Amino acid sequence: MKRFLIAFLLALSVFAQTDTQWVLQQSTLTYHVSHPLHQTDGVSHAAKGKGVCHAGQCDFLIAVPVKSFDSGDSNRDLHMLQVTRGAEFPMVMVRTRLPDSDSKAADIKADLEIQFAGQTVAYKQVPFKLEKQGAEIHVTGTIPCTLSDFKIEPPSLLTMQVKNEIPVRVDMIWHQQ
Amino acid sequence: MRLKTWKFWSDRLVDVASTTMFLILATSLMAQVAETGALAGTITDSSGATVANATVTATNAETGQIRTARTGADGSYRFDQLPPGSYVLKVEATGFKTLQILPTTVEINKTTVRDEALGTKEIGGEPTATPQENLPNAPSSTTAPSLSDLGLTPEQTQGNPKEQALLDKRTHMLKIHQRMGLITTIPLIATVILGPGAGGKSEGTAARDAHVALGALTGDLYGITAWYAIRAPRIKGAPKRGPIRFHEAMAWIHGPGMVLTPILGALAFEQKNNGERVHGIARAHGPVAIVTAGAFGAALLSVSVKF
Repeated sequence: MKRFLIAFLLALSVFAQTDTQWVLQQSTLTYHVSHPLHQTDGVSHAAKGKGVCHAGQCDFLIAVPVKSFDSGDSNRDLHMLQVTRGAEFPMVMVRTRLPDSDSKAADIKADLEIQFAGQTVAYKQVPFKLEKQGAEIHVTGTIPCTLSDFKIEPPSLLTMQVKNEIPVRVDMIWHQQ
Repeated sequence: MRLKTWKFWSDRLVDVASTTMFLILATSLMAQVAETGALAGTITDSSGATVANATVTATNAETGQIRTARTGADGSYRFDQLPPGSYVLKVEATGFKTLQILPTTVEINKTTVRDEALGTKEIGGEPTATPQENLPNAPSSTTAPSLSDLGLTPEQTQGNPKEQALLDKRTHMLKIHQRMGLITTIPLIATVILGPGAGGKSEGTAARDAHVALGALTGDLYGITAWYAIRAPRIKGAPKRGPIRFHEAMAWIHGPGMVLTPILGALAFEQKNNGERVHGIARAHGPVAIVTAGAFGAALLSVSVKF
């Protein structure tokens, strides 16, 4: 009986340590730029992401090519690519670590570390909404990025600069494996 | 006696008024002081050592009002008399990652404490899988996925400084193109306005000379504008989408128009100087100029205003 109990506890502990993974299945990332003459949204569906859970904690990495953002105007996209130094630093990378239990919550606050335009900026307590759909989780939220956070000179059109705020809307579907 | 009574009462009135004013001012000041809160804390690095001279910015999320403070030798910062509300805190220090914290609530008559730890800045390259000490729930080094786990190849993730230099040059040239285009608009409009006077029945040459001079100036500025657009480097593999296609299509109208207009104008000018009415092909000078100016304006608007 004692042996059985020890074996059971060992098995339980191994089960608790078992890695689970999350894979980013679909994503829409949208940055918003405000200019006195324009309101522009740049959209990318090219993000790739993975989450690895171990011992109750999940480490996530999301990467998206800077080039993949489409604002509907190739000239503007090239200009954005230039000011964000997208050829030199072609990927936007977002890292975060969340407790495994967060996958059951409806609202979470995540600490994000974003690497973009040669800079690394940490955003704390960014709120996201989670909606569980079977083995999938639908994540939505907005990251309150600014150009100055990443030392990006605001692009200008007709000598008028765009606003410093470039909020990034996130809409992702993660699949548990 | 009456005068004394009046003086007595007027003095009392002044006293009462002064006291009332003082009380109103004091109450207002007290209310101002009472209706604020404070935000304070200490900035450290990942080892717990204090970070001096870090810039801490508190931005009121509702009003956008910004307050800035620097940490002292002990790493401490403090914002006094902050209106209550939600504040976004940003911490910047040389050699550290910029940290943005949101939101921090400031309450009346309370000091909100936010102690923060800054992570060391990485210089270039892919971030390593080391723990990001500044985040309480930062990735662990053992399980954090890497870029290769996402199926990304080094070719996709490595930077291309040559392409960046090309983009920088392109943007620089197109900025000049844009500004020169705007400057060109001024003499262009003036030339068009003076056009009817220059080609009318008037025998005077002043309007005609001014029209010619402004037209020449427009042509020169247009040439410079066009040169910066034509010579701006092309980026391979970049598809053309959106208003830039219309902008470029318009160039096929105003470009030849800018060549044709002065030629026709020279013919018209010669005819007028000979005392003749403008005739023959020279009569097209006005309409061609109008179409050219219209196409130029449309090109400018197409990239300026979202249709």
